[in-house]
Amino acid sequence: MTKDTSNTRRVMLAVTEASSLQVLWRTAMEHMSGERAELITVFVRDDRWRRAASLPFTEEVSRASGGSMNFTPERAEEVDRDVVMRTQGRLQQLATDSQIQSAFEILAEHEAMRLHEFVRSESDLLIAPSYFKRRPFYSELARLKCRILFIDAKNMITDPEDY
Amino acid sequence: MAGTLEQNRIRPVPVSQLRRVCPPLTIDPESGEKAPAMSAYLGQERAINAIRFGIQMEHDGYNVFVLGPLGSARHGLIEELAKEPARKKGAPDDWCYINNFSDPERPRALRLPAGEGSKFRDNMQALTEEIRLAIPAAFESDDYGNQLKALEAETQKELEGLWSSLQEQAASEGIALLQTPTGYVLAPVSDDKVIDDKEFDKLPEEKRKEIKKSIERLSEELKARIETIPKLRKVHHERVRTLDRDVTAHAVSVLLEDIKQKYQGLPAVLGYLEEVQTDIIENAQEFRRTEEPALPFLSYDSTALFASYEVNLIVSNESDAAAPIIYEPNPSYPNLVGKVEHRAEMGALLTDFRLVRSGALLQANGGYLVLDVHRVLGRPFVWEALKQALLTRQVRIESPAETLGFASTTTLKPEPIPLDLKILLIGERWLYYLLCVYDKEFSSLFKVAADFDDDVERSASNVEAYARLIAERVRESELLPLSAAAIARVIEQRARYADDSERLSMHMRSLDDLLVQADYWARRRGADQVAIEDVTEAIRQRDNRQDRIQKKLVDAIKRETLLIDTTGECVGQVNGLSVTDLGEYRFGHPVRITATTRVGKGDVVDIEREVKLGGAIHSKGMMILSAALAARYAPDVPLSLHGSVVFEQSYGGVEGDSASVGELCALLSSISGVPIRQSFGVTGSVNQLGRVQAVGGINEKIEGFFAVCKERGLDGSHAVIIPRDNIKHLMLTEAVVEAVQNNLFSVYAVQTIDEAVAALTGMTAGERDKGGEFPADTLNRLVEDKLIQFASRRKQFSEGAGDDKGHK
Repeated sequence: MTKDTSNTRRVMLAVTEASSLQVLWRTAMEHMSGERAELITVFVRDDRWRRAASLPFTEEVSRASGGSMNFTPERAEEVDRDVVMRTQGRLQQLATDSQIQSAFEILAEHEAMRLHEFVRSESDLLIAPSYFKRRPFYSELARLKCRILFIDAKNMITDPEDY
Repeated sequence: MAGTLEQNRIRPVPVSQLRRVCPPLTIDPESGEKAPAMSAYLGQERAINAIRFGIQMEHDGYNVFVLGPLGSARHGLIEELAKEPARKKGAPDDWCYINNFSDPERPRALRLPAGEGSKFRDNMQALTEEIRLAIPAAFESDDYGNQLKALEAETQKELEGLWSSLQEQAASEGIALLQTPTGYVLAPVSDDKVIDDKEFDKLPEEKRKEIKKSIERLSEELKARIETIPKLRKVHHERVRTLDRDVTAHAVSVLLEDIKQKYQGLPAVLGYLEEVQTDIIENAQEFRRTEEPALPFLSYDSTALFASYEVNLIVSNESDAAAPIIYEPNPSYPNLVGKVEHRAEMGALLTDFRLVRSGALLQANGGYLVLDVHRVLGRPFVWEALKQALLTRQVRIESPAETLGFASTTTLKPEPIPLDLKILLIGERWLYYLLCVYDKEFSSLFKVAADFDDDVERSASNVEAYARLIAERVRESELLPLSAAAIARVIEQRARYADDSERLSMHMRSLDDLLVQADYWARRRGADQVAIEDVTEAIRQRDNRQDRIQKKLVDAIKRETLLIDTTGECVGQVNGLSVTDLGEYRFGHPVRITATTRVGKGDVVDIEREVKLGGAIHSKGMMILSAALAARYAPDVPLSLHGSVVFEQSYGGVEGDSASVGELCALLSSISGVPIRQSFGVTGSVNQLGRVQAVGGINEKIEGFFAVCKERGLDGSHAVIIPRDNIKHLMLTEAVVEAVQNNLFSVYAVQTIDEAVAALTGMTAGERDKGGEFPADTLNRLVEDKLIQFASRRKQFSEGAGDDKGHK
């Protein structure tokens, strides 16, 4: 028997490595409660690392020690991989704790137009951190034909639980 | 025979003196209740006065050593004598061990008035219970939450300011501050987009240089701000800590104020409560800890947090009680001094002030501690620890292993507690004298010796008092009452136990044993009163239980394995009387003593001594009799005798000089050739002048010989010769007395060796006349003639030997 999803509202949760997942997840849960809704988590890869790493003089300054080291493309790749894995793991944990199922998608920043593929109706909802407004792909978000909710999550630096 | 003895003025001991009978005593069965409390200590005035003196003397070193044999009821007397002074002294202070917040390995001792210790402990326990609830409640309050949020917001604001200003500065220069999981990256941006290498290469040289410079400068700024973050966090933690302290202080001070009010008069307690308050405030964050432990088996125990505020009450007294009188039956080191216990935790042995345990010294502090000295000396380190405590007047609870440097686990050094008590050591005399000689500190620590008498004079008044004592002990032990005759029989047994018809033993344990056993036999026959036959049966049964070896000896004599003649006569052979002591049981038996003599150089060989079976006293007796022999006979010629004396068939050690009369008589018989009656046994020691002296175990010796003679059949010829000075010690069994009454057995008492040898040989010993000669046909004359003859022969031999030499 095929599940009828035509009346199901879709909630999309867009996150990056710097997002406060707890806050965003809580918001998503609030908007899903009492309704037929499905959740898609979308990890938006940060292209800036890759681009910055292509410059030969870019350095990474350690948060713990203040020391610096070359930020190479290999290092950028490693950081990216690590962040994706970590974020996916935490989202899975949140889904398990909330006893719901969610899909996990990964998009590069330059693939932001693919977000249109996830939107099915105007009643769908995209939840994203407010700092997305400052990112280059914001223009693509603004064109989505669904509701968009920007969450003013805590500053990435004072939100150590995400790291 | 009687005629000969009569001729020699040797008369048998009258039957009345063989056993001093006690007339039946009419004692009111209830008289025990009327007996004075101290009746058990009849005749112990000296010891009583000494103990009283020691107990009342307040100066240092006036501890008491109570000397006396085991079973003389010394413990009871001490308790009796200390009771009143203890009541007057009143209860001493309570003592607790409390945490030393500045050095937990050195717990502090806290003194409280009697009865206050337990209250203080309970108050502190209640306080910690209240604090356990009050502190988390304070931290869960909205007030605290709001203040904490405000602090966090403030710090957040400062951090945000730190980064936003840097971000703004970077943005103004076209640089983005990117975050990685472990740090930050500064990258040039153009149109909100990070410039990659291709775009960067397209930029003019000047612009590229400018970007690089900006990034370098911003990088230094970034590093500077990163260094600021820990400081900001530290400041934040300090603020939170201050807030926690303020909240805790408020919550705790209210609770502590109540308890402080209760102890206004005790500065030490108030000081401690201040420290508790400070410590709780200092550790405020610990009390709100709720997180799970890192490892599941490390269970989080919130009560452990408050453990350091517990009170370890180690000495507790009731305020209206008397000073303690403690008897420690097992004075091991921990039981006496105290100990520090450990608990196993994760494989390690841990301890704290709550595991300090007091010993008898602290329990008796302010009162009296009674110890058995043989137990004190027999347990490792205890004697030294006891002396140390008395010398320093304080109790230092530490393990001997620690003192000796053997301890490898963490342990404590509790603060010493001042000691003010009286020690009463109970021990046997020999221990007292040994300690006096070998321990130089002993005499200065135990200045009072209370010497218990073993026995008491058997006067009419003492007999009456003793009867009351018996009644009292019967009542105390809930035994059947004794008939008048039974009491008299018990008193006779007490004289026998004292080895003296004129004394009564004060050995209470043996008295109690006799009473209990007599009660058993009375109950067994269904009587409601202990009769004389029950007492007799108790004595007989006790002897039966213990006389196996005695019976074996008699049997061996009967079967002539051990050779003892009880009929006929023999030259140089006499029946000596010996006593074997098996601890709780003594018995006598005859021993054949033989002597041989020949011409010699004037020496008497003691074979026992030669083979090292003779003890020192026995050897001394032999030397005395040798000297007596030399002094009494042929004083003008050299003693030219070689004699040897031996206890035949004796394979164990021989000790004592009680056989010296027998040995001398055997020698005289051998020299003179006059035979000795084998139906006689003899005991007594002799001095150099021929005087016969008293010996010990006289009753057992007589009874031992009597038993052998009776086994072979008494015919009136059998007798023992004893020193006259021993008559007062006679408390013979009814069987012996009855045989004497029926002229089947005799006991003769002699005062001189002449009387003894005359009795044994039936020949008058003889005294020197005015010319210094022994009369003809006397034993002494025969002895002297023989010794002169030996001297003459020796002289002849010597001259012959000289002639031989001359011929050569």
